[in-house]
Amino acid sequence: MSRVFNLGLPALLGAAAVTLTAASDPLPPDLTYRPLPSLPFSAVKENDEAQKPAVIERQRKLLESRYNLADRPMRGVMMSGGRKVVQEGVRVKLPAGETWDSLAAKTPQEIRDRGLLPNGFLPLPHVKQATGGQVFPENQIREIGADEGRDLRRFDVDFDLPDYLTPEFPPPIFLTTHPELGDVSRGDLLTIRNFYEYMNGIITPVQMEGLRLLLTPFPQEEFNQTEDRKVAMQSMGVACLDCHANFHTNAAFHLTPDVRPQAERFRLDTTSLRGLFNQQIHGSKRSLRSVEDFTEFEQRTAYFNGDHVSATRKGVNLPDRTNQVAMMAQMQNIIDFPPAPKLDPFGRLDPATASAQELKGEQVFMGKGRCAECHVPGLSFMDNNMHDLKLERFYKIGETFNDQVAIPDGPIKTFTLRGIKDSPPYLHDGRLMTLGDTVEFFNLVLGTKLDQPEKDSLVAYLLTL
Amino acid sequence: MRAAAITFAVGLSPCCAMAQIGNPAGLAPDTRMEKPGVPAPNQTNYQDRLFAQLVTAGGRAEVELGRLAAEKTSHDGVSAFANRMVEDHDEANKQLKSVADKSEIPLPEELDPDHKKIRADLEKQDGVAFDLAYLAAQILDHQKTAQLLAWEIGSGEDPELQHFASDNLPKVLEHLDMARTLHAELAGQALLAAEAQKSK
Repeated sequence: MSRVFNLGLPALLGAAAVTLTAASDPLPPDLTYRPLPSLPFSAVKENDEAQKPAVIERQRKLLESRYNLADRPMRGVMMSGGRKVVQEGVRVKLPAGETWDSLAAKTPQEIRDRGLLPNGFLPLPHVKQATGGQVFPENQIREIGADEGRDLRRFDVDFDLPDYLTPEFPPPIFLTTHPELGDVSRGDLLTIRNFYEYMNGIITPVQMEGLRLLLTPFPQEEFNQTEDRKVAMQSMGVACLDCHANFHTNAAFHLTPDVRPQAERFRLDTTSLRGLFNQQIHGSKRSLRSVEDFTEFEQRTAYFNGDHVSATRKGVNLPDRTNQVAMMAQMQNIIDFPPAPKLDPFGRLDPATASAQELKGEQVFMGKGRCAECHVPGLSFMDNNMHDLKLERFYKIGETFNDQVAIPDGPIKTFTLRGIKDSPPYLHDGRLMTLGDTVEFFNLVLGTKLDQPEKDSLVAYLLTL
Repeated sequence: MRAAAITFAVGLSPCCAMAQIGNPAGLAPDTRMEKPGVPAPNQTNYQDRLFAQLVTAGGRAEVELGRLAAEKTSHDGVSAFANRMVEDHDEANKQLKSVADKSEIPLPEELDPDHKKIRADLEKQDGVAFDLAYLAAQILDHQKTAQLLAWEIGSGEDPELQHFASDNLPKVLEHLDMARTLHAELAGQALLAAEAQKSK
C-alpha cells in the first residue's frame, strides 16, 4: 500500500505539475494576498518614522490643491449634540477659468477630454496608500489612551483632515427605545471602562453584552502583536466603536476591503451606525444583507482588509453567530437617528415649522434635483439599492494620485441622509468636505443644472434632516 | 534622448510628479538608503524585478502579435489597433529597458511560453475568426498588464519603475477600452453575417 503510494503520488504530482505549468498565468503571487514583511519590525518602524514628515506633507499638498480647508463655520448651525458647528460653503476648488455654472453647462466628454473635472471630485487617496489601514483622529487616540491605556497612534501616518471638518466628538447617542431621554452619552466617549455605568438601567442584558463586545479590542491588521503592525508597542487591537465612536463616526478612515490590487483600493470614511435598524444593505460595496452578517464579517473586512489569511496569523476574533453576533446586532439596532423636529412621520417637511427656503429645498430635492429618486424620504432617505454614478464619464481613468490609481467606483450603496449634517466628510471615501460640495457634485454628475438659489435651498433643506 | 523623453512624460502629468512613498515593510533587506526612509536610486525589491520581467514579456508579445495582426487582418479598425499596439508598446519597451538597465534587472530575451502558444494558435486562423481571437487575447493581456502596473505602483521600491507604471497605466486602460469596443463590434457583425447566411 505504502509502496503504491510512494510510487504513485510523485507520478501524479508530476502530471499535475505539467498541466499546471501549461495553464498557469504568469502573474505575481501577492496581487491578491497581502505579502509578509520582508524586514524586521525595528527596521520597518525606523524607516516608517523617517518617512512620516514627507508622507504628511505630500497629503497636505494634495488636500490643499483640491480643497479650501479654511475654518468657516455656518452661523448658528450646530451638529445634533451642540458640540460642533457645521461648516459652510463649497470647498472643492474649481479649475482655472471655470465657474460651477460654466462647468455644469459642459458635456461629460468635454470635461474629461479637457481635464476640467475638479480634482476634489476624484477618489481621495489614503494618507499612505501603499500601506493603507485604519487611521484614527487625534481626539479618539487621546480619549482611548486616557481611558483604557490603549495606543491607537500609528508611527507611520497621522490623521489628515482638520478637526473642524469632522463630526462632533464625542457624538451624542439617541436610542429608539428611549426617545424621551435624548442624548444618553453624558457627553463622553463610550469605552470598555465606562459603558456599564453609563448604560445600566437604560438597555437590556442582551444589549449590554452586545455593547461590551462592540467595545472589546481585538487584533487588527495594523494593531496587533506581530511584527506586521504600525503601532509602536504590541497592541491589544481595536474595538468596533473605535471608528464608530458612540455608534456614529469620528471620521476614522481605512481602505476598502473589496478591491485589489492595493493601489486601486478606495478610501473608506467610517459610516455612522445611526438608523442601522432600517438599512437593508451594509458595506458600501459588500451588499451584506443583515446587521448580523455585517457584524460578523467586519472581523474579516474592517479588521483585516478582507484578507482572512492575514487575520489567521494575527489572531482573528470570530464572534459566535447565535450567542454573540445576535447581541451585538441587538445593540446596534436600537441606535436612532438624531431628532429632526421639522419632519413628519413620512419624512416630509412640516410646512408649519419649516422655513420658505427649506420648503423650496424639499421641492428641489423631490423634483429638479432628482435626489429623492434614490434618497426616498419614506425609506429613511435610502432606497436599499446600490447605484453607479459613472463618474468616470468625467475623467480619464488610471491616473495615479499619491500612489492611488483612480479607477471607476462602480456601484455604491445609497447612504441615508438622516442626520447628514452630523457626518462630514461626505461620500463613501470622504472626498467632499461640506454639504455645499455634495450639492455641486451631484448637480454636475446628474446634470440637473440647478441655479444658485436652488442650490442654497437644497443645503438649507439637508440641514433639517 | 530616451531619458529626456521619460522626464518629459513625467513632467507632463502633475499627478505623478510627487515622490512615490511605499510601505517600508516591503523593502528589500539589502536596500541602501540615500537618507533615512528613502532608498538610494535604482534599488529594487522582488516586486520591481518580477514586474520588469513580466511587463517586458507582455510588451514584447504586444509588438510581435501586433505585427502579425497588421499583416493578417483585412479589417481597417483591427489594422489601426494593431499598428498602434506595435508603436506604443515598442516605445514602452524601450523606456522600461532603460530603467531596468540602470537598476540592473535582467530581462527576458524572447517570447514567453504563454505568448508563443497564443501566436501559434493565431497563425492557424484567418478572417474574422483571426480578428476575434487576436482581440480576445489582447483584452486578456491588457487586463493583466493593468493589474501588474497597479501592483507595481503599490508594491514597488524603485521610483523610476513606479513612475513608468503610473505613466503607462492610463494608456493600457485606453488600449483595453479600444480592444473591448472593437471586439464587441466585430462579434456583433460576425453574428449578423452568420444569421444572414442561414436565412439565404
